[in-house]
Amino acid sequence: MADFLSQYSIQRWLEMCPQGYLEDTVYGHSPELKEPVILVGNETLREESIRTTVQLVVGERCALAASSGLVNAAPDFPSKRFLATQTLDEARHVEIFTRRLFDLGVKEDDLESTLDEFANPNLVKFAEVLLEKVEAGDFIAGVVGQNIVLEGMAFSVFEMLEAVSREANPKFAETLTGTIADERRHVGFGENRIGSLIREHPERKADVEKMQAEMTYHMLATFADSFRGNAAVVEETRAVAAAEGFGPETAEWHGTDLAAASPEEMEAILADTVLGEFKTRLGRIGLEYQSPPVPA
Amino acid sequence: MSTVEQPDRETELAELVEQHRARRAEGSERRHYDLDDRGFNEVPKKWRKFYRHWLGAGDTLAPNEIICPVCKVVIRSVKEIRAGDRLYCMPCMSRLLVVEADDGTLVPEVVY
Repeated sequence: MADFLSQYSIQRWLEMCPQGYLEDTVYGHSPELKEPVILVGNETLREESIRTTVQLVVGERCALAASSGLVNAAPDFPSKRFLATQTLDEARHVEIFTRRLFDLGVKEDDLESTLDEFANPNLVKFAEVLLEKVEAGDFIAGVVGQNIVLEGMAFSVFEMLEAVSREANPKFAETLTGTIADERRHVGFGENRIGSLIREHPERKADVEKMQAEMTYHMLATFADSFRGNAAVVEETRAVAAAEGFGPETAEWHGTDLAAASPEEMEAILADTVLGEFKTRLGRIGLEYQSPPVPA
Repeated sequence: MSTVEQPDRETELAELVEQHRARRAEGSERRHYDLDDRGFNEVPKKWRKFYRHWLGAGDTLAPNEIICPVCKVVIRSVKEIRAGDRLYCMPCMSRLLVVEADDGTLVPEVVY
């Protein structure tokens, strides 16, 4: 049973989240904060911000579909209750990142076409692998895919984006800080709930590990597309930002200065961090990390 | 003239370590800490003093602090942390048991 959830309740969630770190925020940030004028006014910077934010919306829509689907698949009431709060967290994330697209000038009528235009196809495939398990009512695979693989990736991506934005874009950084706080609960649930379930159902290990390898493949391919495959745009964006005096002088994250790192170096540090976390987290709950084939 | 054999430095250190362990095993008094609020707003107000954010390179852990391996938040105790202590990480709901690693450092293990 989910004993670790005995201290968790909707009341606790209210005190931690809406009455805690989200108190007095509007769409996840202080009401007075706006997107930097230069980011909205310069087409190169704006388009790159839209591209990044679209991936966040796509990832969060997947998380929303997965967590809401897992409510019915959960074998016990405490897990259903937790997943109900996670569903609201994910819906909030979809809303705040969608709101950021509007703040960046995307028209509401153009939202879906903008998502279609910029969504990374590998990220869409990553989501499809997870949602297939959720739709089949597979609670163990669904929670590993959602709360360990997807949330583990999101945790590091959000931390990296927050480090880059802290100085240059406090509005976006604050929005990310609130989502990181939510992710702590989500990864905690994933590890603690599945840690006991995997011991009860060791026969599920091979199947779950196969899903992890598949999701990891699409995640690494998404990183490769976003950095190496987009290197010219990343470098151009950086040059434009420098010319406009926009962006941090240094942004330290896991020992790398993101403000000076090449797209290849940024991809490497993100992938190494996420994969390192996967290995540790999966190992703790009794699963062995499976290396996927290296994306081209 | 008789000579008294002086213990070498290595033996001296080994004895000190042994004395230290023996004191800990006997449950010698632990250092206590008055906790202050470090602005960690991810838990209800009453429990905020028990947690803080890890500040990255340059940050260090006090003897009453340990990093949650699940969510990376620093957990702060009112007592110096020792092997065998059980801790709760409210931000991610993990229950932890502190164990002594081979190199003598204290590490938290998640209890499922």
